[in-house]
Amino acid sequence: MKDDNHPHIVNYKEHFGTWIGLMILTVMTVVVSVTNANLQMLTVLTALTIATTKAVLVAYYYMHLKFDQKIYRIMLWVVMGLFVSFMILTIIDYITR
Amino acid sequence: MATAISTEKNFFEIKKGIASWLFTLDHKRIGLMYFYAIISFFLVGVILGLLMRLELIAPGETIVKPTTYNQIFTLHGVIMIFLFIIPSIPAIFGNFFLPIMLGTDDVAFPRLNLLSWWLYVGGAVFALLTLVVGDGPADTGWTFYAPYSVQTGTNVTLSVLAAFILGFSSILTGLNFIVTIHRLRAPGMTFNKMPLFAWSLYATSWIQLLATPIIGITLLMIVAERVFGIGLFDPSIGGDPILYQHLFWIYSHPAVYIMALPAMGIISELIPSFAKRTIFGYKAIAYSSMAIAFVGYFVWGHHMFTSGMSGTARVIFSILTFIVAIPTAVKVFNWVATLYKGSIDVQTPLLYALAFIFQFLIGGLSGLVLAALAADIHVHDTYFVVGHFHYVMFGGTGFAMFGALHYWFPKIWGRMYNKRTANIGFALLTVGFNFLYFPMMILGLMGMPRRYYDYLPRFTDLNVISTVGSWILAIGLIIMLWNLIRAKKTGEKVGRNPWGSISMEWQTKSPPPLENFDKLPELNEGGPYHYKH
Repeated sequence: MKDDNHPHIVNYKEHFGTWIGLMILTVMTVVVSVTNANLQMLTVLTALTIATTKAVLVAYYYMHLKFDQKIYRIMLWVVMGLFVSFMILTIIDYITR
Repeated sequence: MATAISTEKNFFEIKKGIASWLFTLDHKRIGLMYFYAIISFFLVGVILGLLMRLELIAPGETIVKPTTYNQIFTLHGVIMIFLFIIPSIPAIFGNFFLPIMLGTDDVAFPRLNLLSWWLYVGGAVFALLTLVVGDGPADTGWTFYAPYSVQTGTNVTLSVLAAFILGFSSILTGLNFIVTIHRLRAPGMTFNKMPLFAWSLYATSWIQLLATPIIGITLLMIVAERVFGIGLFDPSIGGDPILYQHLFWIYSHPAVYIMALPAMGIISELIPSFAKRTIFGYKAIAYSSMAIAFVGYFVWGHHMFTSGMSGTARVIFSILTFIVAIPTAVKVFNWVATLYKGSIDVQTPLLYALAFIFQFLIGGLSGLVLAALAADIHVHDTYFVVGHFHYVMFGGTGFAMFGALHYWFPKIWGRMYNKRTANIGFALLTVGFNFLYFPMMILGLMGMPRRYYDYLPRFTDLNVISTVGSWILAIGLIIMLWNLIRAKKTGEKVGRNPWGSISMEWQTKSPPPLENFDKLPELNEGGPYHYKH
């Protein structure tokens, strides 16, 4: 396997931008919750989408997945895909019962 | 092999004393510690199974009361699933042979490997504690279905914690194997030149790593429900019992492939070794392991066809379940094609492999009956299901494990067993097995439900046949174990390669030295199964 773990320096702008992104998403979660936004069935989906986006941002930028080998990104997406499939298949049962 | 550790002494001789075993970092010793622990629990499970069969030799109460019977079948299930069949082949033979087959000196994380064993022992102690504390072992069945598992006074919490700890052991073993396969293959051994046993362990490890956490969380939810009455699964406090079944089977169906895939890997080693023929469809077998592991994630709902799941979901899960049969059949066709026109050397391990194919086929095809929605409605929770999964788990994985034991015995202990006695043991095991489990499928079709200590008089004859089958099987098992224990002490010493196999593990000494090879292993030209015809 090719070793491309070369050193890299992430500039403050990128770090700060990621933090801003995470804060905005956190505010969105709180707003959806405290304003009792009437999203009905989309409530859970919204919460999960925001949480997943935040997790991906942390993994890509703060955990440096973006700079790692492609195989690790593929592994992450395979696992995410599996999780989403579990959710979809389970929810199909609930909404068609 | 950087350090100059003696290759004159084998891994048994290099250190002595109990502490040298309990705290060893050698993958071979850890594999053998798993072997002794797992085989002990297997025998306990067998005894519980024999007691169940004895209870069922006649209608009405025979030797135990109904509650005791419920506890016996739960303990039998928990021990056989969590302590025997899930860890069996990966933990024993995976640990012992994966590094050797990859041409390396150990797994990637030896300390983590030892921790896995200790966690296994810790989980086992919790499982056994259920026998002696509180109100006795759980009486829920190994599935711990809610809401009964939330309400019963028996030791569900302790049993669930045992399974939780055992899950950690499984996850760590899977993680270790994945990293070992990615990072420690011998130079030149690409993924497509890797032994098929390693491929099967790779697919298994991904399931262990990704699916086991789900059962861990689910089991903790049961504990939370029991202790705090949260209302997750118990409908009387607002929970949904079908949600529990979803979460349980999201892990527990892929777990079936944790049990079956390594067994298929064993068969892929045994067939070319004794047919002395290049394996047919190497890539098809290798990739079908990954396909089974992948598709196996999406079929869990077939365990819930009668539970109240929606019709749409049932149809989807039924179709998905049929798909998983395809890569499984790919393997079977390739094994049979490998045997075709081979120079077949009929030895005990091959007999086990052939029995595996025969019995796994019955188990697999009866699985299709259960995957079909309309048929499943009739046979769900009957003895048909019990017969089906014992054909897959015992007739398949159990027999593959015995085949592996007879195949690698000379490599592990450096001695050969009495082949005639081994064949007698095999014959009795096979006959006993089929007498024990085939009548169960007929009983199921006749309508006999599972998990009852009693039955209608019209089911008596087949139950008697089944119980007699259990005795024949037990005799076969005793003969097999006695033969192997005797051979370990007094068997004829063998050289490096008593079977004439070209796999890498046969290049080293029997038993292997501490760092596995006394000379640099050589990759076989043309792939790991390229026999010169």
